[in-house]
Amino acid sequence: MITHPAVSAASDDFTHRLLPYAGAGEFLGGAVPFLRAGVEAGDRVVAVCGSGREMLLRDALGRAAADVEFAEAAAWYAHPSRTLADCLGDACEAARQGRRLRLLGEAVWATRPALEVVEWQRAEAVLNVAFRGTGALLMCPYSAALPAAVVAAGRKTHPETVRGARSLRNPGFVSPWTFCEQCDHEPLPPPPGDADTLEIRRPDLFWLRAYVTDCARQTPLPEEDLQRLLVAVTEVVTNALRHGEPPIALRMWTDASDGAAALVCEITDAGRWAPGTGYGLVPPGPDGGASDGGFGLWAVRLLCSIVQIRTGEDGTAVRLRLALPTGATVRR
Amino acid sequence: MRWASKRPAAAYAEPIPLRPDGQAMETPWFDKRHVSGVRPGDHGWLAYTGPEERDRVIGPFVREGLETNEKVVYITDVPAEHLPGLQPRHRLDVDALVRSGRLRVISRQDACLDRGGAFEPAKMADTIGREVDAAFEQDFRAARVTTDYSWLLHEPGPAGLRRMLGCEHRVGDAVSPSTMAMAVCQIDSRACTPDQLIALRDTHEVLVEVNPEFYDGILKIVRTFDPDGLRVEGELDAARHSVFAEQLSRVRPGGSVHLDMSGLGFIDLGGLHLLAKHATRLPAEASLVLDHLSPNVKSVIETVGWHRLPGLARGRELPETEGIA
Repeated sequence: MITHPAVSAASDDFTHRLLPYAGAGEFLGGAVPFLRAGVEAGDRVVAVCGSGREMLLRDALGRAAADVEFAEAAAWYAHPSRTLADCLGDACEAARQGRRLRLLGEAVWATRPALEVVEWQRAEAVLNVAFRGTGALLMCPYSAALPAAVVAAGRKTHPETVRGARSLRNPGFVSPWTFCEQCDHEPLPPPPGDADTLEIRRPDLFWLRAYVTDCARQTPLPEEDLQRLLVAVTEVVTNALRHGEPPIALRMWTDASDGAAALVCEITDAGRWAPGTGYGLVPPGPDGGASDGGFGLWAVRLLCSIVQIRTGEDGTAVRLRLALPTGATVRR
Repeated sequence: MRWASKRPAAAYAEPIPLRPDGQAMETPWFDKRHVSGVRPGDHGWLAYTGPEERDRVIGPFVREGLETNEKVVYITDVPAEHLPGLQPRHRLDVDALVRSGRLRVISRQDACLDRGGAFEPAKMADTIGREVDAAFEQDFRAARVTTDYSWLLHEPGPAGLRRMLGCEHRVGDAVSPSTMAMAVCQIDSRACTPDQLIALRDTHEVLVEVNPEFYDGILKIVRTFDPDGLRVEGELDAARHSVFAEQLSRVRPGGSVHLDMSGLGFIDLGGLHLLAKHATRLPAEASLVLDHLSPNVKSVIETVGWHRLPGLARGRELPETEGIA
C-alpha cells in the first residue's frame, strides 16, 4: 500500500505513546528521558510545544537542548493532513539516512473548533498505520486539564501509555479504522434548506466550476482557496461520476455554527464506498505518490480545511469545508 | 487604390484567439494567429526553428489557399515540388496549378534581385503588388504571398538585415490595408541573432503559428518547437485527459519536454497525475518542465507537493506583471 524507503537496522518499528500528565513534574518526567535518549542515540529529535513548555524543557535538558529542534505547536499543527504528510516525510527521510525521527508533540487541542479537533484525532489514529516501518518514536503529552473527551480519544489512538519510566500497552487502544468509524457515527447536520443546490448530470465539469466560482465569489473566500476548492470539487465529482450512482448533487452554503466561518461544499450521490480504507487519510508514499490509487482523495484533504465523509446505505456525502478569513462577514 | 478587393473578407471573420482570461496573447501590438486564422491584411511573421515547424505553418498556408480559389505566390529558388504543402505526398498536380495561374513560384532573381544579383527591396514590394493586382484581375478571392528571407542573413555584413527591414516596411505598408492580400514572411530563427529576430519581428503585425492540435472551446493544445513541447490553454480535467495524453505522447524530442502553462487556468488532480506518469516515461536525464505556471495552478501543485510528482520540473516563471488573479 505504502512504499517506504528501506528501513535501517536501528529502527525495526515505530512507537506512538501517550504521555498523560498533571503538572510540570509529570510532563518533564516523561518528556525529558525520552528526548535525552534520542540525543544520545543520534536521532533527529524534535519537540513541538508551546513556548512555556519549551523553557521548561530547555532548563531540564541542559546542554542536550542544543540537539533538540523546538517547533511552535500552533504553526506545526497547522492542518491535520498536511502536518501528517510533512511529519511522515521527515520520518522517512530520517530512516533513509539510517536515523530515526523522535518527536515529542503536544497538539493544540484547547483552542481548536470541535470539527477540527475530530480531524486531529483521526490523524492521531491514522498515523499508527502511516508510520509503520519508519522506526519513528512519537510521544504525545496530554494534559489532565484537557476536556475529558479529548483525553478519552487519546487513549483510543495511542497503542502505549507512558507511566513514569515505563511504557505500558494501552488497553483502550482501538484500530485506526474502528476509531474513524466511531467518529463517523455522528451524522452530519443537514444542509440548510436554502443551500445552493445543483444536480450534476453532464460529465463535463467546466460549467460546474463556473457555478462553484460564482457561489464562492459571494463569500470572502480568498482567490487561492477558491482554486483549491475547484480542484477538490472536480476530484470528488469526477469520482462520483465514475464510481458513484446518480443522482449526484452539489450543495453550497456558508456555516459558522462551529465557531469558525467556513464555505461548505457538499457532493452527494446514491452510491456507497467500500468500508475501512480511511478514504485518503493515509498519505501516499512520499516518492511516486501520484501513482497511488489513494492520491486523489488524499490530495483533496490537503486542499481543503476539513473533509467530512459519510457513506452508507443512504448513499455518500463528501463535505468540503474551507475556512473563511476571520472577521469577514458571512452572507447567511 | 491598389490591391482593392471585389469581395468583403467576411470569410475570414474568425475571432482572434484569446487566452481564457480574455486577454489577447503576447504583447499588445501583435496578434498571434494560427495559420488557418490568417486573413487578408495580415502581414505575418514566422520565425521557425526547423523544417517541421516551417512545414506545419507554410504547408497549410499554401494548401488552404489552393483549395479555396485563392492565388498562392511563393518567392523562392526551391523547386515547387520541394516546397511546404506541395511535396508529392500531398498529391497535388503542381504543374497544372502553375499552368492555371493559381500557383506562382517566382525565382528570387525575378522577384527581388537587381541585375547584379543584389537584393532590392523596392523590387520585392513591386513584385508583390503586381502579383496581387493580377490576382484581383483574375477573379481570385485573395492572394497569399510567402517567402523565406533566411538567405539574406547568410550574406556577410549587416547590410542584409538593413535592407530586409526596409523591405518589410514596404511589404507591410502594402499588405496591411489590403482586403485581399496576406503575407507570411519566413525566417530560420537559427540564422539570426536574438536582436535581429526582434527587429524583424517588430516590422510585422501578426505572428503566425501552427494550427492547434486540439481546440474545443475549453482546452487548446498547441505544439511548440522552441522549446519542444506543448502550449496548453484553458482548462484540463477528466473530460479531456485522453486527448491531452495523446498529444503529449506525440512530442518525442531527444530531451526534456516543455509545457507552456501560462494560459492554463485549471488542471485537476488526474491531470497532474497524468503529467507525473508521462514524466516517468521520459529518458532518465529528461524531465517534463512546466513553464509559466499561473499563480493559481502553482499554488495547487505546491499544496500537493512537487516531491509527490516526481519527474515534473519547475520551469521558467511568468513575469510578475502577468497572470495575477
